[in-house]
Formats: sequence, structure tokens, C-alpha cells
Amino acid sequence: MDIGTVTERASPRQFGPKDDLPEEYRKAATRMIQFHANSEIMGAYLERPFIRQAPSLDRKLAFSAKVQDEIGHGQLLYRAAENLGVKTRGQMLDELANGEGKFLNCFHYPMTEWWETPMIGFFVDGAAMRRQATLKKTSWEPYAHAMDKICFEEGFHIKHGESILRELATGSRKEQELVQDAFEEWWPRILQFFGPTDDQSTHHDFASAVGLKTMGNDELRQAFLNAYLPKARKYGLEIPEYPRINEGEDGRYEVVEDDLDWDEFWQIAKNDYGPGRQQIDSRKAAREAVAWVRESMETPGSGPGSDTGDTPQAAD
Amino acid sequence: MIWEVFRQEQRGKYHTHCGNVHAPDKEMALMFAQIQHGRRRPTHSLWVTPREEIGEVDAEETSFGGTTDKSYRWAMTFNTDEDFAAEIAASQREQEAAERERAERGDDAEGGGGNAEGGAEEGESA
Repeated sequence: MDIGTVTERASPRQFGPKDDLPEEYRKAATRMIQFHANSEIMGAYLERPFIRQAPSLDRKLAFSAKVQDEIGHGQLLYRAAENLGVKTRGQMLDELANGEGKFLNCFHYPMTEWWETPMIGFFVDGAAMRRQATLKKTSWEPYAHAMDKICFEEGFHIKHGESILRELATGSRKEQELVQDAFEEWWPRILQFFGPTDDQSTHHDFASAVGLKTMGNDELRQAFLNAYLPKARKYGLEIPEYPRINEGEDGRYEVVEDDLDWDEFWQIAKNDYGPGRQQIDSRKAAREAVAWVRESMETPGSGPGSDTGDTPQAAD
Repeated sequence: MIWEVFRQEQRGKYHTHCGNVHAPDKEMALMFAQIQHGRRRPTHSLWVTPREEIGEVDAEETSFGGTTDKSYRWAMTFNTDEDFAAEIAASQREQEAAERERAERGDDAEGGGGNAEGGAEEGESA
């Protein structure tokens, strides 16, 4: 199939592993799905410490279920990407470990405090869910199938995130202040979630022409703001003055792009942002620490104690 | 030799189990599958796989979803509203449907209740 045919036929769930697709399509789809899969994994690592740090048993259970789901989503997506025949799962996981694999801007920032968790669990996941719902209509069938299962599960994640936000926002004065501080810190990053405006997005045209993407960054950002700005206000969060968000007469929001730190954004996009590097390296260390588990599954009898005498390590 | 047959009705939909055929090899299995399972019902693609290659675990051997209370895994547990965003509402509707099906089937999982085909979702991750 040539690009012309692909563009002509492009529609939801149109292409699968049996189709002879041009390299350009397969590479673009791989880039997109690998990015998505990497983000699931890096997001899970960011939230994992809160299984321990959560203030109640209910929250611990929900966080452990959520982290488990996200790792599962990563696995589903690596399978969907692997089907394109460009990269193997092993290659993609290696790339993530050695700093070549790209992932969402928000997951490059450290998250250390409990009151920060709704910033990821409600706002970032909500933004991701908005985008993922549109990807049920992507032209790469295995990707759409992964989305069916991911979207099924994701409702719990976002409601859990909102439940934490509500608890903090209706809690003590101190809690309200802390969640407001966290919001101010995270809000600009959340606004950058959907990337720069479409006219500056490098991969948008091709991906939408071949049906991989069904909605542009601008439209997604609008839809997100329409649903989530009122939520932030409902919980008494004050929207920072900067970055400015202008509301047009038609009810459309316009983020003043110049108010956002695009140097930092592009630095992150290249995996060159210091704190992000640390996240990458700490996941790499966790992966290496439990290499013995994978090895002993693949080669029974080769586990620790069998010949090396090493003490088995845990991921953390 | 027995081959299990999976039919996909339309491009982009899921292959779902629809029966099995006797055949000495894959090629013959594909031919019989077309005749037995692809003639009347709308069919876009068929898969065949040797029955002995299929692994199975059933409700006799395990308790799917575990035996402890896992309500913390469900959107319905959290009483914030879901209708502020269509995609969250859709996710919750799917979870409610899955929970209803589980409740209706109860412990009487015997007989399998046909195929659990809704087009997509099975619930939790591994």
C-alpha cells in the first residue's frame, strides 16, 4: 500500500498487522504508540511511592491498583506498537532506560508530596483520558483495541484523583493552601500537556492524514479546559494569573502561549531536563535491580542462589 | 485434530470464538472454518488455532478478581460526578455494565453463559 492509498482509506480501525503498510506509516505509528507506552510506565513510577505514602488503607489500595493498571497499559501499548514491525518491546524498554525513549512532559517533574497527587491523578490523567477517548478511532487497529481496555479502566483513576482533590480542597485551611500551591506549580505543565499549537506541531499533519490521530492538540486542549477549568474552580482553586487564559465570546479558551516556558518544554522533549533525567535513571536502576526475575523466568534454574550466590535485589 | 475458530465480523472488530472444526492441518482447518463459520454470518476474517495450544483456567480452579473486596478498583466507589466529561461517563457506564453482569451471573458461573462478548472490554489488567 502506498501513502496515497493509506490516506484515502484512513478511517477508524482500518489497518492491522496483515496490511502491507508503508514504512512512513509504520514509523509514525510506532513513534506515537511508543511515546504513549513510555508515558504509562513513567507515570506509574511517579505514583508508585504513594502506595506507601498514602494516608489511609483505602488510598493505598487504590494507588496500588492504579499503578498496576498503568503498568498493564504500558504492556498493552508496547504490544500494539510491536505489531508494526519497526521495534520490539525489548528495544523500546531499552530505549526508555537509556534515555532515548520519549514520554509526556508532566512525568519529567518529580512528585514528592501527597497533596500533589491530584495534579497527576485528576488533571493530567483527565487530559490523557480526553485524548485517549479520541484514539479509540485511530486507524491502527491494535492501538484502538488497547484503547478500549485502557479507557474502560481509566474512569476509576480519574475519579480517585478527584476524590483526593475534593478531600484536600474541603479539608483544613493548611490542606487547602498546600493543594493551591501544588496547583500553581503544576498548572502550566498541565497546559503544555497537549503540546504547542497545531501549526507548530511537527508530526501532526501526517498523523492526522493517515488517521492515526483523530483530533488536533488545539481541539483537545479546548475540550480539556471546558471540562476541567470549572472543576478547578468548583474546588476553590484559584487559576493563576499567568499563563493567561483568554475566554472568547464563543466560549473558547485561548492560552497565551508566550506565557508558557517553551524552552523547558523542548528541553524535556529531548530528555535533557535534569529532574526528568533522574526519573529515567531511577526507573533504569529499578529495572536493572530486578533483572534476575526476568532472567529466572526465561531460564529456569538460573535464578539467584543457583550459581552466583548473589543476594536477590528488590526494585526499591 | 481439532482447531478452534475465531471470527471477526468486520475490519477493526475483535475476533471472537465461534466454534471448532476437525482438520488434519491448518490449511484444511481454514477451509472448513470458512464453510462452517463464515458462510452466513458476516465475516471479515477467521483465525484457527490447534485446540491443544490453548491454555485454560476456569472458575472451578480460581476465583477471578480475587475473593477480597476490591471495590476500590471501581469508578462507582468514588462519589464524585462522572458526567462532567463524556469519556469519564462512558468509562463508568462500561464498568457498571461489567459489574451488573458479574452480579447477575453470581457464583453460578457453570455453563459459561455464552461468550462474554461486548465488543471490547474485560476489566482489569493482569
